[in-house]
Amino acid sequence: MVTRPPAIEARDLRLTLGEGEAAVEVLRGIDLSVNTGETLALLGPSGSGKSSLMSVLSGLERASSGSLTVAGADFERLDEDALARARRGRIGIVLQAFHLLPTMTAQENVATPLELAGQPDAWARAAVELDAVGLGHRLTHYPSQLSGGEQQRVAIARAIAPRPPLVFADEPTGNLDASTGAGIVELLFDRRAETGATLVIITHDEELAARCDRVVTLKDGRIASDVTP
Amino acid sequence: MNSLSWPAAWRIARRDLHRRFRGLRLLLVCLFLGVGALAAIGTLTSAIRGELDAQGREILGGDLEVEVWQRPLNEAETAFLERYGTISRGLRMQAMASTASAATPIELKAVDANWPLYGTLTLDGGSTMGAPPPGQAWIAEGAAERLGIGPGDLFRIGTAEVRVGGIIENEPDRLSEGFALGQTVIVPLDLPARAGLTAPGAMYESKTRVAFRGNPDPLGVESALVQQFPDAGFDIRTRERASPGAERFVGRMGEFLTLVGLAALAIAGIGIGGGVASYLEARRGSIATLKILGATSADIARIYALQIGAAALAGSLAGLIAGVAVTPLLAQALEGLLPVRTGLVVDPPSLVRAALFGLLVALVFAAPPIMWARQFPAMALMRSRVSPLAGSWRSAALPVGIGLVEIAALALIGSPQPWLSALFLAGAAAMLGLLALLGRGIRAAAAKWPRPANPIVRAALANLHRPGSSTGALVTALGFGLAAFVLLAGVQTSLDANIARSVPDRAPDYFVLDVPRDRLGEFEAAVQAQATGADIDAVPTLRGAILSYGPKDNPQIVSQLEELPEGAWALRGERGLTYAEHLPRGNSLVAGEWWPENYSGEPLVSVDAELARAAGLKVGDYLTVGLLGVERTARIASLRRIDWESMGFNYVLVFSPNALSDAPHNLAATITLPSGTSAGGLLRELVRLFPSSSVIEVGPLLTQARDILGQVSMAILAAAGVAVLAGIAVLLGAIAAARAARLYDTVILRVLGASRRQLLMLQLAEFGLLAAVLAAVALVLGSGLAWLVIVQLFEFEWLPDWPRIFAVLGAGTVLVLAFAIGASLPLLRARPAQALRSL
Repeated sequence: MVTRPPAIEARDLRLTLGEGEAAVEVLRGIDLSVNTGETLALLGPSGSGKSSLMSVLSGLERASSGSLTVAGADFERLDEDALARARRGRIGIVLQAFHLLPTMTAQENVATPLELAGQPDAWARAAVELDAVGLGHRLTHYPSQLSGGEQQRVAIARAIAPRPPLVFADEPTGNLDASTGAGIVELLFDRRAETGATLVIITHDEELAARCDRVVTLKDGRIASDVTP
Repeated sequence: MNSLSWPAAWRIARRDLHRRFRGLRLLLVCLFLGVGALAAIGTLTSAIRGELDAQGREILGGDLEVEVWQRPLNEAETAFLERYGTISRGLRMQAMASTASAATPIELKAVDANWPLYGTLTLDGGSTMGAPPPGQAWIAEGAAERLGIGPGDLFRIGTAEVRVGGIIENEPDRLSEGFALGQTVIVPLDLPARAGLTAPGAMYESKTRVAFRGNPDPLGVESALVQQFPDAGFDIRTRERASPGAERFVGRMGEFLTLVGLAALAIAGIGIGGGVASYLEARRGSIATLKILGATSADIARIYALQIGAAALAGSLAGLIAGVAVTPLLAQALEGLLPVRTGLVVDPPSLVRAALFGLLVALVFAAPPIMWARQFPAMALMRSRVSPLAGSWRSAALPVGIGLVEIAALALIGSPQPWLSALFLAGAAAMLGLLALLGRGIRAAAAKWPRPANPIVRAALANLHRPGSSTGALVTALGFGLAAFVLLAGVQTSLDANIARSVPDRAPDYFVLDVPRDRLGEFEAAVQAQATGADIDAVPTLRGAILSYGPKDNPQIVSQLEELPEGAWALRGERGLTYAEHLPRGNSLVAGEWWPENYSGEPLVSVDAELARAAGLKVGDYLTVGLLGVERTARIASLRRIDWESMGFNYVLVFSPNALSDAPHNLAATITLPSGTSAGGLLRELVRLFPSSSVIEVGPLLTQARDILGQVSMAILAAAGVAVLAGIAVLLGAIAAARAARLYDTVILRVLGASRRQLLMLQLAEFGLLAAVLAAVALVLGSGLAWLVIVQLFEFEWLPDWPRIFAVLGAGTVLVLAFAIGASLPLLRARPAQALRSL
């Protein structure tokens, strides 16, 4: 049996924001290993450091200290641009506030990461991805013309489209009502199942966390518990 | 895969770019204004130059013209010219025309039957004519009015009587004749001699023009002529340089206006920088999202540089179209002053230059915000939503430096006076730098000022220094335009006052040419009889060209000089010469000695110290002049400093009497009337007693000079007006950029109970404070620079018309205030509840 390397390997990760007297230590020595293909929920109260940890793990922010390997890449050695290149096609991110490009249509939004990754059939693939999330009829709509649930579905299509081995979702249902949120969770897990990607979800919804292979709880910037439901 | 390819970057950029450039309209407007002004200036200059070139033959009245003073061409010279084609002979001189009841100075133009070789003369009523028939004259409308005569009436020129054959409507070779000291009267070639105006020593100029047979090279003919007759004292012009004075004026004016336009474009650049920063600020979320999706900083720079480049191209293109479209209107305004091609003129080099200036200015001012935006990590962009974009200047130094160097190179390459252009650019840059410093200072002062008790004034003062306030940019952008207005008003009104008040105090009332030397006493008596106490200064007057100069054994031959030494303009062509027993009034010796009274030794000459410096002459050197075909050599006995402001007769070369007095010549005289006396019948009496003399009145010349000054000022004012418009665009952009913060303030104040009237007062107080500061800065800076120009550069008296300066400044300030309040009014209509939901 071949052992696959972990998707994420973090050792003693620390993150301090601000300087001098205003400095705040947000992450205080995180040790975390996430297996390839695993689904992991990051739980914790507001201010526990969940989103900051996701930012560091996804390469949006550089840790102040510690070591981090993501999909085989040594993140602490990479500069901003190298981190951006490392994300291309390898890491998909779904954010609570959707963060769609407001000046682009749904299809253009989904095509953009494919184009950034240099994929030639970006346009057609974007249409296929949107069709897969049930928005085949909304290709030419702008974000302002879509409901919150539809916007989040576009965001999921955009994150999944390059077939990344690792997907992060930061409170994907936080801005949605309960029934729409449930639909989005189903969609996210279905798409993950189809692609076999590693999924890291940040949430404070324990029901959602329970659907994951593993639940890591953060408190005051430290891992308080790491359990398999 | 490293960086996004340009086509892929363009695909993303185009998607993100609003179809109507929403968010980038300030950039568009600023470039439209700046490039439009430069395109219009360039196109108009080219339209005039093109017409000067195209009409070279008509303007000159031939393919080649040979001018020489006080003699017609001799047989050998005429035969030489006739080898190349048909020739037309003519004479030009100042003269007097009179009737029994009136007299007026005229510019007499005597022409032969072949005139005009090119172009047509049009008379009032539309008939086209050639030379007037014997005994008749074509006269300018102004002369006819002053003499009170019309077609068919008789009048006198010198001792001859002529009949008005018609009133001139269009004189084909007017422009090449140069500055006129009187109204034109065209007569047959034989008239001046009949009227006694060409006696030996009389001041006249003969002009011989040639219409080439075949197509010989005019420059080739010119050099053959100079080679054949090196000492003839010819002033030669070809159809390529039909009106060098006009070409020089148009070239320099065009260059100067281009520099003023470039300064306006620099102001527009502040708007471009502000507009791009606001645009990128609004795009912060999109930039963050693109970075999250894997875009590198280089990708971000490419995507937004392409967007901003597309908007800059659109703005520049619109500016070019507007510049070309407005040129026919400007051409119409110039009609009659200069030949200018009518209809739409497209001059690709001017348009490319204007567009390049625009794009380079856009590069210089847009590069810093783009470079700063690319440096931000994705999460920092998300987190710092409330703080404005800022970064190190070092990252933008390369594109900004390249842009600045290219702008300077573009402005200086091909400039007729690169040093002057460089000086102007350095001056404008220094002024912008000074304004930027002032802006910072005002912001800092507003922050430190004690808080006023009145909450409205307190809030207004706070708006001048709050984080993200545009006070610095506004002081620079609007201060430059308003200071330029004050500078122009100060310079123009001072020059005007000097011409109107000071010059007449110093200048004589009349210049009289060709007073017979043996009738000086009679002349003085005639003047005193008409104007008792008048001051008369008469000097001998001759014309000749300097042929050689320098040490006796190794003189420099002028015709062998490839280029005249800088400042030695007196070596070019024929100049006025005189002789004098005593040192002329207003002159002072700087080297050597003046000759003793009744000197009869070796011929001597006293030389202007400036010419001596330029040509390397010293006391003891020799100088040879050609005078009516005879060479005369004199030793340099002294060098003089001339007071050119004395407005009397000033000669670069003054000879000892024994050097020139035997040559045929007349006298020239100035008459200064006692203050408060009027000319009365002086003019008529002089014409009656001295028919061959001509009088130049100083009054009309000053009026003409003031008119030209007024027209030049208008052109500069129009170009500087673009700077004010660009400044207003910057102001509107700054208000739009701070809209969210201003809306927030307004809504909170409304929630706290402020009335709309109070909010309006707040806006008035804020922009009133800003306008007052701007007015003070513009007044101090503009009038300071105007003082420098008038007192230090022109060495005139500082005589500004303060009411006019304040009126100009007041109008500019009110305009700024009106736009500021107008742009802020929509904020007052905001409904608190609705606004709070969307904030």
